[in-house]
Amino acid sequence: MHVVTFSVAGRNNCAVIAGEPYVYARTDEGSFVMRARCPHRGGPLHLAELAPEGNRLVCPWHERKTSLTRLRQEIPAVRSGDTVTAVFPGLPDAEVCTGHRPLSADLAG
Amino acid sequence: MSHAPFPYEPFALHGQELRDAVVRYASNPLYLDNEEWQNSDNPYRRQLRPQVLRHLDFDRVPGRDEILDYSSLAVQRLLTSIYEADLVFLPKNGLQGEGRWEDFKRFYSPTNRVLGEMIRPALERYAFGFLDDEIETSGTWTAESLESYLESLNAHEAAGPSLSEKAISNSTDRERAARMWLIQFIPDFLSEASPMIRNVLGYYGAPQSEWFKIIIDEYGYGVHDTKHSRLFERTLESAGLETDVHRYWQYYLNSSLLMNNYFHYLGKNHELFFRYVGALYYTEATLVDFCRRATALLKDVFGDRADTQYFTEHVHIDQHHGRMALEKLIRPLVAEHGEQIIPEIVRGIEEYRRIQEIADEDFATQIAWMDNGPEFKKLHAPVWDALSSGRVTAPVADIVEPYGELSNTHCHDGDELCHIVSGTMKFVSGFDSHQILEAGEGTVIQRNRLHGAIIESEECVYQIHSVGDYKKCMS
Ligand code: FES
Ligand SMILES: [Fe+2]
Ligand SMILES: [Fe+2]
Ligand SMILES: [Fe+2]
Repeated sequence: MHVVTFSVAGRNNCAVIAGEPYVYARTDEGSFVMRARCPHRGGPLHLAELAPEGNRLVCPWHERKTSLTRLRQEIPAVRSGDTVTAVFPGLPDAEVCTGHRPLSADLAG
Repeated sequence: MSHAPFPYEPFALHGQELRDAVVRYASNPLYLDNEEWQNSDNPYRRQLRPQVLRHLDFDRVPGRDEILDYSSLAVQRLLTSIYEADLVFLPKNGLQGEGRWEDFKRFYSPTNRVLGEMIRPALERYAFGFLDDEIETSGTWTAESLESYLESLNAHEAAGPSLSEKAISNSTDRERAARMWLIQFIPDFLSEASPMIRNVLGYYGAPQSEWFKIIIDEYGYGVHDTKHSRLFERTLESAGLETDVHRYWQYYLNSSLLMNNYFHYLGKNHELFFRYVGALYYTEATLVDFCRRATALLKDVFGDRADTQYFTEHVHIDQHHGRMALEKLIRPLVAEHGEQIIPEIVRGIEEYRRIQEIADEDFATQIAWMDNGPEFKKLHAPVWDALSSGRVTAPVADIVEPYGELSNTHCHDGDELCHIVSGTMKFVSGFDSHQILEAGEGTVIQRNRLHGAIIESEECVYQIHSVGDYKKCMS
């Protein structure tokens, strides 16, 4: 497991663990750390919008829907002010870095 | 099925009702202004400035940026007094004389207790509500992710000096700064472990006994001379300070009370029990290195005069307490009550860290404010110039006070200019720290900085200009 502290917005709002990016998202349903890549073909889930019925994200690439409830549960995290500390799965020797990903309006709070 | 004889609703006071209840509580003679800077061997006297409370609005949740404003200081003082009605304090020189017996009865009276309890939930919302915005947990926490998170905190590792410690080391008056620092710990260390003991009442299985073991250490195994509070008394004495409870009430900073009250808040409201467990782990574990640094700092400032046994004892015993909190409380409690309690544990840790950060900054800023007293006095000239020339306008209050009038310590929500029209004022900016202000002189009073004043002439006429940000007067 990897414990990473990164920004909730702006520069370094993304933690990349073994090549897998995660961002901090704020929605009406609550805020949470979520994977930024679509499980289908790796589309930009961080740019996804909410489906009209809410509670699901629509990937901008092939419009596959991902349940928000599931995403929200995945990564345990705690935000303190403008930073968030999250516990990510992964082997101990995985490469960890931070970076930036833009967020869709629906995920930017 | 029988019907409830009365609609069961949450108890809450709001608006005028709340304000009246706060003023009513604080109108107890115990809480009126003092004519001296210090209380003398009377643990029941706590200046709450009731005359100001009716102008404040406690029916809201201030943000992080307002947490050092006067309303927050007022709330922290009120809460300290309310929480401590559960604790037993007796004057060192006995209850006889100087109205102490009457004060004892007033402090522990049902009226004081009930009026305090009625306003406590609203005041707690005001005092700690900002933490709901500041700290937020998410995702599914497991025992495994908790372990990784705890490990990542490196709570046992050596850390560099805090802002407060640096402020003392670099102060123009290191002894004064160190005394001011020790004073901030008094509410916590003289009744040490009292908030914690709230958690060992009841009946909840093996962790209760484990927690009790920590308390046995804190209480020095029943040997009074080794009780942690007794060790701290000796530290205070060695630094030339008195040890009667709340003698230095007027010098407590907002954030020092916030920190101490936080533990009472968690201990008093048992729905926050698991948060306390988290905060306990983090304090005990980080206290080891803190106490190591504190020992070195006090020896550096006071030389061999400093009795640092309080701190050296904690360097040792808190290595155990940190470990016990993890192995005997956190892990068994998670195993017994499920992973749903983990977010609360994490939250307690992060909330405590947040408060510690606030307290550290607040204290360092106060030392700079004390050290720079002469500078703030000099700033009177340009600011007064901007005001008297009409270049800047600001609301002004004209005040006339007689000899000996003591403005009990407080702070303001923006910068102010104090301008003396006639007479002499002793302007106090912290323990053992003051400037003498004569007619035509004055001082800038920095936003959120604790201060008070006493009139040293037969009469003093002065003005307070609420400039907001004094820098806009400089050009
Ligand atoms: S990559 Fe997201 S739907 Fe295909
Ligand atoms: Fe202790
Ligand atoms: Fe301890
Ligand atoms: Fe003032």
